[in-house]
Amino acid sequence: MTSDTGTVRPVTATAALTRVANVVRLHLTQRSQLLVLPWMILGFIFLVNLVIWWLVLASSAPAELASVSQGMQFSGASTFIFVYMLVVAVQAINVTFPFALGYGVTRRDFYLGSAATFVLLSVYYALGMTLLATIERATAGWGLGGSMFDVVYFGSGTAAQQFALFLLGFLFFFFIGAATAAVYVRWRSRGMLVFFAALTLILVGLSVLATSTASWPLVGEWFARSGALGVAVWSLVPTTLAAVAGFVLLRRATPRN
Amino acid sequence: MSTVIEVAGLTKRFGKVTAIDDVSFTVQENKIYGLLGRNGAGKTTLMQLLTGQEFATNGSIGVFGRSPVESAQVLDRICFIKESQKYPEDFSVKHVFRSAPWFFGGWDSAFAEQLIADFRIPTDRKVKKLSRGQLSAVGVVVGLASRAPLTFFDEPYLGLDAVSRQIFYDRLLEDYAEHPRTVILSTHLIDEVSNLLEHVIVLDEGRVIIDADAEEVRGSATNVVGARGAVAQFVGGRDVLHSEAIGGLASVTIAAVSPDERRAARAADLELSPVSLQQLIVRTTNSSTKEFEQSA
Repeated sequence: MTSDTGTVRPVTATAALTRVANVVRLHLTQRSQLLVLPWMILGFIFLVNLVIWWLVLASSAPAELASVSQGMQFSGASTFIFVYMLVVAVQAINVTFPFALGYGVTRRDFYLGSAATFVLLSVYYALGMTLLATIERATAGWGLGGSMFDVVYFGSGTAAQQFALFLLGFLFFFFIGAATAAVYVRWRSRGMLVFFAALTLILVGLSVLATSTASWPLVGEWFARSGALGVAVWSLVPTTLAAVAGFVLLRRATPRN
Repeated sequence: MSTVIEVAGLTKRFGKVTAIDDVSFTVQENKIYGLLGRNGAGKTTLMQLLTGQEFATNGSIGVFGRSPVESAQVLDRICFIKESQKYPEDFSVKHVFRSAPWFFGGWDSAFAEQLIADFRIPTDRKVKKLSRGQLSAVGVVVGLASRAPLTFFDEPYLGLDAVSRQIFYDRLLEDYAEHPRTVILSTHLIDEVSNLLEHVIVLDEGRVIIDADAEEVRGSATNVVGARGAVAQFVGGRDVLHSEAIGGLASVTIAAVSPDERRAARAADLELSPVSLQQLIVRTTNSSTKEFEQSA
């Protein structure tokens, strides 16, 4: 009873891979938004920072310079790019999901393709950030003692360690975004309410637990002992959980308008 | 002719609302189907079920012989253009047409180009900035140029002007003649597409109330117009689908009449006229549906 009017593509590993690759291509169709715009925004923030560094340097006494430079270690100027990637993930799941399903993509292929896209983008941005951090270090803070990429949270290890840190950071934000969007796609605003209520309760509960058992020093010690890279490696636990949750949620989701 | 879709005992509930209520029907290959019904009759839900976008509460759906849910083999051969199709953030029209061929094996770029010109779609414009009609046109182009063996159009021409709608009908028929495929079209503009449809499925409150050849449906009822008394005498005890009277004149819609009855009617100075598909559906979906089922 099956009628084959169209070209029936065989269900082989290559065909499956092609379908996933097509979803990656779909995500990367509008390239400038994904690959160029974030660098432009970052460039703008960098220029503003350059001016500030220059102002700080110009108004500081020579004796204070070392401590000024140390203080700049805590710059958060580049954190924007991580949040931007979270938003990218939310949009990729929320808006592209109903579109892709109309094109006859399965939820499975859509999620795998989206996950692959997030990994590719993480590598791309981690490479760029590592490059900038390396330049920053080599030029002693762009000649002004400033820090924007080679900052304290990303450790002052080797370039490879820095790359790993950036990569893990991007993966974390991408998949947290993907899982959150999957909750929304699956259960809409009611799901969001329950999700954030539950998240708040868990975080508050953990804080209460830490306070009541007087274990905050232990928590601090854990962060200090693990170091930036250690904490980043541990982030793989929530990242993986989020990635799996996103898949499970989306497998039963229905595109709505 | 082979079966493309086979639905048996299909039910879909959303909480307490039953959107699709124990529906069974089949769809044959290479025909144009009209899925008709009032707002909220369940047309979109049914299409979402058939394309694996929605999960059935009960019953079975076979598309190309298997369940469409998460089946790449089935979905590869389907194109589903929704009334309120969403497009990725910041997509321009050209992005839509650039990405479509990756997903539709039968995509015809030359045909797409021609349709884009016919509908005068501005390809450089952001999808977000398109008017309602232009947005519908983009969906129509994707649906036609994809040449998917099973194409669903859900209210494809919301906001399209009369000229564009005519272009859609013409191109669909021309292309369908050269590249036969199964098309399922849901719409409110029943009379406009009436000539296009080969088969109609009418949904009302989640149930299939008509599932018949379009010709058959059109021939299934007759309007009898004439003097009130003569009409009443002619109609007699037949099931009446609809009746209205102005002064001494009456117009009554009844089931189809035989050639003999036709002659009798002419002798009684009554005028018999065909009932349009739209009138028929309006009448059946807003009065009692049981009477029609008996007569059709």
